[in-house]
Amino acid sequence: MSADRADVAFLGVRRLAALVRERKASPVEITRVFLERIERLDARLRAYITVLPDAALAAASRAETAVMRGETLGPLHGVPYAVKDQFDTAGVRTTSGSRILENHVPAEDATTISRLNAAGGVLLGKLNLTEFALGGTQQFPFGQPRNPWNLDHDPGGSSSGSGIAVAAGLCAASLGEDTGGSVRSPASFCGVVGLRPTWSRVSRHGSFPLSWSMDTPGPLTRTVEDAACLLQAIAGYDARDPLSSRVPVPDYTRALAGGVRGLRIGIIRELTFGAETDGEVREAVVEAARRLEQLGAVTEEISLRLVPLAGAIFMALADSDGAGVHYGWLRTRAADYDQGTRRRLLTASLIPAAIQQRAARARALLRAEMLDAFVRHDLLLCPTAHQAAPPIAAARGVITSRHEVAGRFFTRRSYVTPAALAGLPAIAVPCGFTRSGMPLSLQLIARHFDEATLLRAAHAYEQQCDWWTRRPPEAS
Amino acid sequence: MRELTAEQVGALAAALDLPVTPEDVTEVTHRLNALIEALAPLAGLPLERVEPVPGFGDPSPS
Repeated sequence: MSADRADVAFLGVRRLAALVRERKASPVEITRVFLERIERLDARLRAYITVLPDAALAAASRAETAVMRGETLGPLHGVPYAVKDQFDTAGVRTTSGSRILENHVPAEDATTISRLNAAGGVLLGKLNLTEFALGGTQQFPFGQPRNPWNLDHDPGGSSSGSGIAVAAGLCAASLGEDTGGSVRSPASFCGVVGLRPTWSRVSRHGSFPLSWSMDTPGPLTRTVEDAACLLQAIAGYDARDPLSSRVPVPDYTRALAGGVRGLRIGIIRELTFGAETDGEVREAVVEAARRLEQLGAVTEEISLRLVPLAGAIFMALADSDGAGVHYGWLRTRAADYDQGTRRRLLTASLIPAAIQQRAARARALLRAEMLDAFVRHDLLLCPTAHQAAPPIAAARGVITSRHEVAGRFFTRRSYVTPAALAGLPAIAVPCGFTRSGMPLSLQLIARHFDEATLLRAAHAYEQQCDWWTRRPPEAS
Repeated sequence: MRELTAEQVGALAAALDLPVTPEDVTEVTHRLNALIEALAPLAGLPLERVEPVPGFGDPSPS
């Protein structure tokens, strides 16, 4: 291998695939590097629920043989990746992070897994998550996932392991699922790129559901270019998900070039300058906007009055859907849920229909407000989260008042749920660090099916910074 | 909407045949009241003529 073994884990998808293609690196050797790192580091980080060393090495060996035979290679050929344990994998247990499914072994792969494997990816294993992709898990059944930038801090969720594994070099890229921020939040807290595609752009088939109208698989990667590469592999119509879109899939990697000159970017006032937004977050995001201006974008502040309500609207709707999914188990296996999950689902089961209906109407209004913003703007910009990753202990313990609920659940969700409620694509991109060394993240939101512009702007910004080159202390 | 009591929440759960412990009921009551309170501002929005559809992103779904 031409690259140093220690660096291989941080090269990312495109560069690893190029090394394999040019026969400068062996897929088997690359896979061994990641497996050794998982063995050495994951007892502390708990990114993985299931590691697949034998299957990964066998897949890597097949990839190597194909290279040597001069066969046509996919864009991920020989590149080790991992997936949130919410996606079905044929013959490999898929727990959704719950004891209820600890022995569940699907018969077939989720469509996204089939497509990543068809692109040449080497599946390393299944990644930890908050139980059933809901937030607020108190006791993780398969170990407490920890932030590689500071083990006492939250790695974000629900795709917790997907963020940790990419940040700590325990896979080259990962797949998560974003219902209301579950890709972007761990990307933000762990300092990596997280892409939520347009709802319906990627098939949901074989992914354990939470909310049918918001569930969206999406990649977590070290760079925007890698996110484009993974999206290319998984996007497109799937007959097994009748709601998946037939809109043609463009060449996302080619779309990265071109910069941001002339792009009109609206900075969402309520989320960027609101009282809930931490000062260090605001400073970093404003600086990122300034960088985009220097690159030729035109920015202006805009007001979206309904976005501060998005967190509560989301919970009234997505949690109600989740309560429907879980009703049977809530009646028969309530004690097998984590306490936090059970209480969240019980709450959602009891939301009055009049309230739920009002939230559904407000969602339509919020969506209209956001689409209206795209009449005059190509992209919207705001922080991905109102603060850097908080201590794990901050979200622990019994809730003793309704005021505590708002602080723990609604505020932070208002930053990531507007795009989810409107079905819009959004990306989280590292944009700095706090003085205590925790990652900060910029969020860009685009029109429906305009991932190309989203990726182009994020890539242009990323090229001006070196945030993505930094490695967390728990990754060495 | 009026604030719900733990007794009312327990009765609602029982009506749905959902098993809840007394500790569950206490916390679920806080959660439910918080959600209803957070959504109270929606009452002031012009929602009467808005259809409660999720809104699909696909401009040409078939």
